[in-house]
Amino acid sequence: MAARVRGLRVPRGLPFVLPYLPFLIAFGIAPTIYALDLAFTNVGGGWVGFHNFVRTYHDYRFVPAFKHILLYTTVWLAALVVLVVGLVLLLHGRVGRTASTFRFLYYIPGALAGAASVLVWLFMLDPVVSPGSFILHHVFGATLFAQAIAPARLPYVFAMIAFWTGAGGWIVVMYGALNTIPPDLEEAARIDGAGPFTIAFRLKLPLIRKWIAYMVILSFATGTQLFVEPQLVNQASLGLVPDTWSPNQLAYQLAFRYADFNAAAAIAADLLLIGLVAAAVIVTWTGLFRTDD
Amino acid sequence: MRHTALGVRLLVLITFAAFFIVPVVWLVLAPTKSDGALVSHSPLSFGSFHQVWLAWKHLDAFSDHIYRRWILNSLFYALTATAITVAVGVPAGYGLALGNFPGRKVILTLTLVAMIMPGAALVLPIFLELDALHLIGSVFSVILPFSFFPFGVYLAYIYYATALPKDLLDASRVDGCSEWQTFQRIALPLAKPVVALVFFFSFVADWNNFFLPLTVLADSKQYPIQVGLSDLLSSTPSFNPAQGGGGQTVNIFRPELALATLLAVVPVAIVFLLSQRSLVRGMLGGAVKQ
Amino acid sequence: MARVAFERVTKIYGDGIRAVDELDLEVADGEFMVLVGPSGCGKTTALRMVAGLEEITDGIVRIGDKVVNELTPKSRDIAMVFQSYALYPHLSVYDNIAFALKIKRTPKTEIERRVDGAARILDLEALLKRKPRALSGGQRQRVAMGRAIVREPAAFLMDEPLSNLDAKLRVQMRADIKKLQSDLGVTTIYVTHDQVEAMTMGHRVAVMRKGKLQQVAAPQEMYDNPANVFVGGFIGSPAMNMLEARIERRDGNLVAALGDAAVPLDDETLDRRPALVGYEGRDIVLGIRPEDLEDASLANGDGRPRLTGRVEIREALGSEMLVHFEVAARQAMTDEVRELAEDVGDDRMLEQYVSGTQPAVATLVGRFGPRSRVVEGETVEVSIDRRALHFFDSGTGLSIA
Repeated sequence: MAARVRGLRVPRGLPFVLPYLPFLIAFGIAPTIYALDLAFTNVGGGWVGFHNFVRTYHDYRFVPAFKHILLYTTVWLAALVVLVVGLVLLLHGRVGRTASTFRFLYYIPGALAGAASVLVWLFMLDPVVSPGSFILHHVFGATLFAQAIAPARLPYVFAMIAFWTGAGGWIVVMYGALNTIPPDLEEAARIDGAGPFTIAFRLKLPLIRKWIAYMVILSFATGTQLFVEPQLVNQASLGLVPDTWSPNQLAYQLAFRYADFNAAAAIAADLLLIGLVAAAVIVTWTGLFRTDD
Repeated sequence: MRHTALGVRLLVLITFAAFFIVPVVWLVLAPTKSDGALVSHSPLSFGSFHQVWLAWKHLDAFSDHIYRRWILNSLFYALTATAITVAVGVPAGYGLALGNFPGRKVILTLTLVAMIMPGAALVLPIFLELDALHLIGSVFSVILPFSFFPFGVYLAYIYYATALPKDLLDASRVDGCSEWQTFQRIALPLAKPVVALVFFFSFVADWNNFFLPLTVLADSKQYPIQVGLSDLLSSTPSFNPAQGGGGQTVNIFRPELALATLLAVVPVAIVFLLSQRSLVRGMLGGAVKQ
Repeated sequence: MARVAFERVTKIYGDGIRAVDELDLEVADGEFMVLVGPSGCGKTTALRMVAGLEEITDGIVRIGDKVVNELTPKSRDIAMVFQSYALYPHLSVYDNIAFALKIKRTPKTEIERRVDGAARILDLEALLKRKPRALSGGQRQRVAMGRAIVREPAAFLMDEPLSNLDAKLRVQMRADIKKLQSDLGVTTIYVTHDQVEAMTMGHRVAVMRKGKLQQVAAPQEMYDNPANVFVGGFIGSPAMNMLEARIERRDGNLVAALGDAAVPLDDETLDRRPALVGYEGRDIVLGIRPEDLEDASLANGDGRPRLTGRVEIREALGSEMLVHFEVAARQAMTDEVRELAEDVGDDRMLEQYVSGTQPAVATLVGRFGPRSRVVEGETVEVSIDRRALHFFDSGTGLSIA
């Protein structure tokens, strides 16, 4: 129902949303459209169809960049699913108050997102100073920093950094989701003779499926847009690791080193598409919308 | 049998705790040692406070106290943008949750999509947009994009949709409130938890953002601390042996870098700890309600 | 204080549903009017249209003599008590009650006077500083009432204010609200789905069904002379028994034939319902209230018609005995009867209705005296109070007069 202001009908709620709209348009909608526009045109503004996409695809750095990112994302998602879920299930047993202590400890690295976390790990991966030098020496055979960040190892290194900063937050979310399971269910299962493993895998795990799906989809979309970590490693390794390791880096270089904004936009559009698909999947399939009436 | 299972479980949990915490502990202890000590002494040993002071002196001296500027920049950007985010986002969430106007669902969907879609792909188009508006190089090129925080709007939306019964609004309308008064006297006072949540997430996101400031800022004096750290990194001789020449002694070694990283994290850590309680509750509340 | 009038008020939702259909109702100044009916009947929608919380699709609502269709809730001078109480959680009891006055910028001394007055009447003086979460359900309800009282409005609107309270509290509050309204003399429209509340509290009761007003009358009048099958079955608990009967002429006299039995229609009945004569040879719906059935062995030689049945269940309540017994007659199966069954959750009757088959026996409920000695499984002779029979047209459901 509309509120009437001296006969003039003002749709209820709209005035509160109005100040937000310029931001939504300026930094959400307009850039998306602009990116798409650039991706399909050339420097002069003329329509070139998929030319930019084809062109960038054939760039010798394109496929490797996407390969890197795919490997990185896969490893990261696997670690997330297995380790986050595993840790949460372990925590949600009868560990009681200690559970919140562990959760807090796991959460701390989350404060070091961005460049800071990479810097920390640059030290951690340097066998000369790292507290984990034992592991680096004997498990990975690395005695020098350069070995630790050998190109073949990079996707795993980045995945580990991403896991280190991100796992804590997801553990908290999953833990909360597990808390919504009525304790009666668990008791009934126990009376029925289920041991802790059965309860974990057959009762709890299926009930947090939705959250695991969220986590995977969100992380997949974020993972493909990796920039900070490879950028810093590029600097720390003195160029040993190229500055076009990830697609976003490539786009950045195309834009600012080669001033080829159309090519950069094409790559941005590729990444946008991935992100949009992920967003669409979440919004429609998992019913984030259900809170809406 | 139960005891071994418990033991194994505890072992796994502790191992991971070590994985998560040891690097942080190292970071806290690193500035207390000299560069040489970092290499030769045990990684988790404590050096001296004097060493920390030395490390700070070197860090501060770098490029004419630019480190201080970076921290201040970050604070300025994050606080300003977060203020705008809260001021704009909370009412927007309210309007979307409890309002009724054409286009409401469209705006909500767009917000959801923007929230889930990682923003890095939009940095370059935003750069071009800001360039066309001649904003590149001004602080607004950072603050304005930062202020667009769809996740904050979404949090406010969820909060109001679930925690504010429609009856309450009806009651206030019957009691004589205009739409604005209803918001100001009923919805806003009840929004304290979500304001805290939005503040936290927005501040942390703004503080940690690297890609956007790197792209839109040219003058290193305007850098936020995250971008500044990467600058610092390329000035560290141990990572960049080419540095240190040219007649200027750059004393940025590993302890200084570690200190720089640590200090860069302190503000966020403080905000973290302060909001820990309402954060976890709110996050669980919002998450669980779905 | 003022009257409230609905003049052909209609509410149609976007999907075409008529929540309220041409409602014509006048609530007199100072009257306690109860709107009652099953869920979905439109009573809450009608109330909210008076409050200004729902738009009026068609028709006019008047408060006093003013047409209020276009006015916002705050300009209508009404106060509302919500089912959920809708107390402001961040304000104290005092501030909750004073809220509307503060918005209107009433001077502080006046606010104090009114709030203290309301608190005294409602026994809230000790609770003024507390917040809603520290109150019990009953206390919250009283605060909601307090909020309405201080406004000194033209009308009170109450939306099922007692349905969230436990049974005992509800009985207590019913009396309190009734007395309060009587003392204050404010025009009140009270919505409920509980017919006991309707009967005990209202000066008049308006029964609604599917958006339409069925009947409006004083409680006793409605009980004695229901206008149609629906009202007959809705008011009164246990519900009126509805049977299929046929008006026949036997030995020169009109009778209502149910299965094996035949209830003679005496002159008194025919005088009161002259139209019955025109129903000779036709089926009608015969309604008998449980309280008008008695164990024949306790009513020796009263000369009343008898029914024979087989006892299924007996429930001894101490003051009376509710007996469910089967007779060889057919249950009346109309739309209204089905809706009533749905409302109380009578699955067995619903099944019969759906399958379209009616068994040749119907189960009646009777309120016998406590001394009745019926035995489950055995036959019983039941006496019918002929003066209290109700006759309804099978097609229209209307009372035959």
